[in-house]
Amino acid sequence: MDRRSFIKLTAVTGTGAALASCGNPENDFIRFIPDEMIVPGVAVWKPGVCSLCPAGCGLTVRVMDADADVVRDGQAGIVRIAAAKKLEGAPDHPVNHGGLCARGQAAIQVTYHPDRITQPLRRTGERGDGLYEAVSWDDALAEIVSRLDALEGAGNQGSLTYLTRVGRSHRAALVRDFLVRFGAPPPVAFEIFGDDVLRRANALSFGREQLPTFDLANAMYVLSFGADFLGTWNSPVAQNVAYGRMRQGRRGVRGAFAQVESRMSQTGASADEWVPVRPGTDGVLALGIAHLLMSTGAYPSDAAGRAGALIEGWAAGLPGYAPEDVERMTGLEAARVEGLARQFSDARPAVAIVGGAPLAHSNGLFTALAVNALNALVGAPGRDGGIFFTPQLDVAAAVQSGSPAQPAVALESLVTEGLAGGASPEVVFVDGANPVFTAPPAWRVREWLEQVPYIVSFGHFLDETSILADLILPDHSSLESWAEALPESGAVMAVASIAPPVMRPLHQTRATPDVLLEVGRMLGTPLALPWETFDELLGASLAGLPSASGSGALADARQAGVWSGELPAGLAVADSADTSPASVPVAFTAPEFDGDADEYPFHFLPYSSNAFLDGSLAHLPWLQEMPDPLTSAMWSSWVEINPVTAERLGISAGDVVEVTSAHGTVRTRVVVSPGIAPDLVAMPAGQGHRTFTRYASGRGENPVELLAPMTDAATGALAWAATRVRVTRVGPPDGRLILFAGSLREHGEEHR
Amino acid sequence: MPQWGMAVDLDRCTGCGGCVVACHAENNISTVGDEQAAVGRAKHWLRIERYWEGDFPDVRLKFRPVMCQQCDNAPCEPVCPTYASHHTDDGLNAQVYNRCIGTRYCANACPYNARFFDFFNPSWDKPLQLQLNPDVSLREVGVMEKCTFCVQRIRAAGTQAKAEERDVADGEIQPACVQSCGARALVFGDLENPSSEVSRLSRSPRGSKLLEDTGAQPSVTYLSRLTQV
Amino acid sequence: MTHPTGQQITRDLVRPLLLTTWRFYVMIALFGAFVVAGLVAWLSQVYFGFGLSGINWPVFWGFYITNFVFWIGISHAGTLISAILRLVNAGWRRPVTRCAEAITTFALLIGAMFPLIHIGRPWLAFWLIPYPSERLIWPNFRSPLVWDFFAINTYLTGSLLFLLLPMIPDFAVVRDSTTGIRQKIYRVLALGWRGTPKQWHRLESAMQIMAIAIIPVAVSVHTIVSFDFSMAPVPMWQTTIFGPYFVAGAIFSGIAGLIIAMAVLRRLLHLEDYLRPLHFENLGKLMLVMALLWGYFVFNERLVTYYGNGPHEMAVFWRTQRLSFAPLYWTMVVCNFVLPLILLGIRRFRTITGCVIASFGVVIGMWLERYLIIVPSLGAKYLPYSHGTYTPELVEVTITVATFAAMCLLYMLFAKVVPIISIWELKAGEHPSPALIPPATEKHQLGDLHL
Ligand SMILES: Nc1nc2c(c(=O)[nH]1)N[C@H]1C(S)=C(S)[C@@H](COP(=O)(O)OP(=O)(O)OC[C@H]3O[C@@H](n4cnc5c(=O)[nH]c(N)nc54)[C@H](O)[C@@H]3O)O[C@H]1N2
Ligand SMILES: Nc1nc2c(c(=O)[nH]1)N[C@H]1C(S)=C(S)[C@@H](COP(=O)(O)OP(=O)(O)OC[C@H]3O[C@@H](n4cnc5c(=O)[nH]c(N)nc54)[C@H](O)[C@@H]3O)O[C@H]1N2
Ligand code: SF4
Ligand code: SF4
Ligand code: SF4
Ligand code: SF4
Ligand code: SF4
Repeated sequence: MDRRSFIKLTAVTGTGAALASCGNPENDFIRFIPDEMIVPGVAVWKPGVCSLCPAGCGLTVRVMDADADVVRDGQAGIVRIAAAKKLEGAPDHPVNHGGLCARGQAAIQVTYHPDRITQPLRRTGERGDGLYEAVSWDDALAEIVSRLDALEGAGNQGSLTYLTRVGRSHRAALVRDFLVRFGAPPPVAFEIFGDDVLRRANALSFGREQLPTFDLANAMYVLSFGADFLGTWNSPVAQNVAYGRMRQGRRGVRGAFAQVESRMSQTGASADEWVPVRPGTDGVLALGIAHLLMSTGAYPSDAAGRAGALIEGWAAGLPGYAPEDVERMTGLEAARVEGLARQFSDARPAVAIVGGAPLAHSNGLFTALAVNALNALVGAPGRDGGIFFTPQLDVAAAVQSGSPAQPAVALESLVTEGLAGGASPEVVFVDGANPVFTAPPAWRVREWLEQVPYIVSFGHFLDETSILADLILPDHSSLESWAEALPESGAVMAVASIAPPVMRPLHQTRATPDVLLEVGRMLGTPLALPWETFDELLGASLAGLPSASGSGALADARQAGVWSGELPAGLAVADSADTSPASVPVAFTAPEFDGDADEYPFHFLPYSSNAFLDGSLAHLPWLQEMPDPLTSAMWSSWVEINPVTAERLGISAGDVVEVTSAHGTVRTRVVVSPGIAPDLVAMPAGQGHRTFTRYASGRGENPVELLAPMTDAATGALAWAATRVRVTRVGPPDGRLILFAGSLREHGEEHR
Repeated sequence: MPQWGMAVDLDRCTGCGGCVVACHAENNISTVGDEQAAVGRAKHWLRIERYWEGDFPDVRLKFRPVMCQQCDNAPCEPVCPTYASHHTDDGLNAQVYNRCIGTRYCANACPYNARFFDFFNPSWDKPLQLQLNPDVSLREVGVMEKCTFCVQRIRAAGTQAKAEERDVADGEIQPACVQSCGARALVFGDLENPSSEVSRLSRSPRGSKLLEDTGAQPSVTYLSRLTQV
Repeated sequence: MTHPTGQQITRDLVRPLLLTTWRFYVMIALFGAFVVAGLVAWLSQVYFGFGLSGINWPVFWGFYITNFVFWIGISHAGTLISAILRLVNAGWRRPVTRCAEAITTFALLIGAMFPLIHIGRPWLAFWLIPYPSERLIWPNFRSPLVWDFFAINTYLTGSLLFLLLPMIPDFAVVRDSTTGIRQKIYRVLALGWRGTPKQWHRLESAMQIMAIAIIPVAVSVHTIVSFDFSMAPVPMWQTTIFGPYFVAGAIFSGIAGLIIAMAVLRRLLHLEDYLRPLHFENLGKLMLVMALLWGYFVFNERLVTYYGNGPHEMAVFWRTQRLSFAPLYWTMVVCNFVLPLILLGIRRFRTITGCVIASFGVVIGMWLERYLIIVPSLGAKYLPYSHGTYTPELVEVTITVATFAAMCLLYMLFAKVVPIISIWELKAGEHPSPALIPPATEKHQLGDLHL
């Protein structure tokens, strides 16, 4: 039996029970007493926090009465509930200022998803079969507690591994605290399109291990290296708000914008100038511009301070990065390099952004440091129209009990070690992460998980990782529980997005932080976490923050969905301890690629999908049906190929092709796109789920399956843009590439 | 009587699609699924048209949000045999779903292809129906639907203002798409009021109407994207 | 070839009503099966949703409207031809008129069904009718679809009268040639026709009035059908030529339909002596004129578009001329122009066979013409992002085929109950002597009759 039939079966059993009950008065459908006093037909707006990405945008949730079919205590019935109806951007939120991205709009479908896991489940079939039985929360919690007690009994607490997603929040702090107190290592956070390289570079250049905030609204020139900052990267709504102001928000002034990348992204489409360079050479261009800036004398090299000192040859004015050298390395004509440098120096203030693919090469850290140095040279850090670091609330300090952050464990090394016969976890908790889907198959995460004796998932859905779990303890949706985020970026002041539940839970789910607290209390040796519930932790954390209304920061946040302001001394995350310049300054090293250039002639670029990011949102039907910004594709996946390349390979639009790397093959459909370099092919991530609800299962292909286990040499982060592939035509269009647009040329050949 | 209109600043629009999903969420537009989408039945009252210009490496992509242009001289109106498509006093092209018999004539007449047809009864997999907006009527098979400028929000604001014995303030009404747009590419308001932001933008030298020569007299003004290199 | 006269005419023409072979039943069953299939297809479209069709965004009209225009076009066979020929008193028309008028009526009935099949909520189609409602809601009289409603209904009423009036004397003939229940039925149908001079006079005046009245109605019907297109701002639809172009096309296809029907009747009902090569040749000449006229209109339409060089028009223009629709377009040109020109223009080919082949070509070509007016334009309307394509689905094909079957079925049943050639007109034409019209019976003395 597969997962689908499981779901069908439960549905049938439910209906069967309901029908059978009709004759018995005692089993009749009951009409529950309304959950909440709500006036029918009258809407109220409650604050919320978007939890779909780490940006932490604030929501205003429209809540009205609705009749919901629910099962409570084994009885089916209709409840008049207060139901979330529409998510809107919170107008006064310091990150999103009333805006909301497509994903944020669709977040409501997580709560109402037909394939949500509605109750605790225990595995009955083989791992991966998707066969589960319902268990009560009491039994489920008792089972976890006995497993953890057994670990403790054996003195083996270190073998509890917590897999989670990247993002700063109170919840993450609680998880960390739980693990430290139990004696387990810190959580393992893995994200395919993670920004660890940039955080590391910022720590080195600016003393902040953090993603930056850009004051685009006041910038006159923005030079972005590969960062899809208007689409998916960092804090996209905040950046859209600022971008709009940069373009048309100032009277008589319009900021200019150039994007450096070899496949046009949604962001690149908005640029005034689009600058394709060879993969892995963005840093060279940055330094080429720095070289020209310094050579004019207007920018003395020591203006860049520490960030400059990290680059070899900086003090000497980067002699190896003359425009001709840059042309040779990047493939960009020297004249254009000079043009970019001229604009970067003439338009003040100017700021450079780097993120995404340029950092996903073997020389990623170099590239990030090079762009940082360029920013430092023009004085962008801390200047209007420049680059900032949002002050961060130090949760551990705020709650006075929490455990300080420790260096994270890398998933790859953990897996490699485990599979090589080294230490392997006894118990794995999976919370919001799906590494089986997002990690390169070469890492063999699935294999590693399969040998773990006991896996617990807190997921709402049976995804590729959760389906390996022995026990599933479904979390509330973010509308049903305390939602919060500590945005790392997007505002100049410190922000804590915090909102109480906007509606009662639809199903028999429980908030994972509360489950952890309860498990902590139930253990043989209780963990003595000082909070009864998660909101107590929130209260403790915000207690020390200044309140605008005087009734407490938490009360303010409950009202507005956000606290924002000056952090009192001692409650802010300190600048990175790592203030010493790198022992050896870095220089450009040619990027390394997996796969022989003759056998695999194309660079392969997977990219974060505008709709699904890395795939965690592929289950939302609104996002599946939203046309992709560049291709207009819906419900599909595809590979983008330059028209000249396509013609050379005898491939036309829609054809079925095989994209093969040294590590795998996917069969997908072709989009012929003029916005991609001839030696590059690109594929959006997000589709290709084997199991992830009715909307995403078995749909499209996952580009991650092709990725080689390449890493950035300096940080060990996955270099996901460093794989080479070949493309072979398999057949004509098979109708599985679904496009909304009829034509993507406004003035077609037909008119000639 | 206000005359509602919109300005779309193409220099701000980043093609993010936030407005597209916002419109679905606000207006109970059902998704049709992959098979129907494949045969051209997807319903996007608001779409972000995108057009490539040039060839690699001198290539550009232009975004253009297109929704019903609420034409003053709407070609979709006279052809409708039942008045399901008709003009309101405040300049909207109203679509009365209950009166529509599904001739699809209006859709042919609309130069912007802004109208969408319910080829099947719209449905939502339970409990997705809980997200439905009770202020917006559900459609049934065989009727036309399209952007209404979020008329439910216009009417609600009008009623509120009337109760408070005042006029609707500029910016008080935000259709769902306008509200969600982070870049503030969309501005809605009363064209009759010369000091409203939308009037001001509509008079911009960057402004033009889409397919002006069809004579539909749309209420949406597009402000051109600038180039600067 | 003999020229039958008198009793022979009556015998020959009443025979099909009285003698029924097994072949008749087989064919009825065959056509009936197709009609039932069409009905099932339509009901399932209503039940499961209009999405069973191939219609989509932005090609909102497809096979159904093509069929609508096609059948309304075919309906111009009759009334117009027989009315004009009647007015100019072309003697050779006599065996042809009823054939033609029957085509008109049935084609109209079938054509008028298509708006119902085509709309999304057919159960509310009555909203097109201006009926008094307590809420004072009327249809929109500015909509060409409402004009269609009136035009088609007027034309249908007129055509029915035009068909029925001259049937009365023939019903009397059948009444007088039969016995039993049949006779009773035909007695009712004959409306007490006795062939008195007064009756003849009234019939003739009525026919004369109808013939005059029906011509503007017929012209207006297809002009209004053309307004369905030319009133919408769609590239290559909005053109002043559509009115006459559609009317000419309608007559053109109508003649073709008539020629095919006559050829089939001639063969099946053994009417070789009545439907003679002369009739085919004359109709063929008429069709040749229409082919030239059609070619003239198409040339005009295309040339003006080409010179205008409007970008949106040209997108559609090239779609049909050179791109995806070119195969259909050039098939249409061959069928509607090249084929008739050769087969009908060269006297040697203008035989019955030649005429029938040309007619089949014209029927196909004119169907394609309507399809090519509708689909390429809608698929390439202005904003290229919203361009699209159309592929018909099973329901549409089934219903289309079923309507052809329905036409055959109705025609066969009609020929089974009504003499398909007007007996009295034929006799009046062949033998202007009043003495022979209609045949004397014991009830009706010859002396009563004169023209
Ligand atoms: N489509 C449509 N809508 C209409 C109308 C229409 O004709 N058609 N008519 C309109 C008019 S005129 C009216 S008055 C309204 C009526 O609208 P409602 O007042 O909603 O009328 P009902 O649906 O008849 O009854 C409401 C509920 O009361 C429950 N009920 C019955 N008896 C009792 C009782 O003793 N105690 C309690 N607590 N509940 C009870 C019923 O089970 C039902 O669920 O509808 C208006 N809306
Ligand atoms: N079985 C049953 N009986 C019921 C009820 C029930 O739930 N079930 N509900 C009861 C209740 S709550 C009510 S209010 C009554 C309603 O009972 P009625 O008052 O009879 O209401 P309707 O059936 O809506 O009929 C109203 C008539 O007015 C016409 N009309 C509409 N607009 C206008 C107008 O502008 N002017 C004029 N002159 N006529 C107009 C309509 O066409 C219709 O013929 O029924 C009561 N009877
Ligand atoms: S940017 Fe992230 S947090 Fe903000 S609305 Fe979009 S998905 Fe939600
Ligand atoms: S939300 Fe705004 S920026 Fe995004 S696509 Fe819509 S109009 Fe453009
Ligand atoms: S489809 Fe509906 S709205 Fe459009 S013309 Fe027909 S009846 Fe009117
Ligand atoms: S855009 Fe189309 S649907 Fe909207 S008013 Fe104009 S013609 Fe009508
Ligand atoms: S105005 Fe309202 S209905 Fe129109 S596109 Fe925007 S959200 Fe959709």
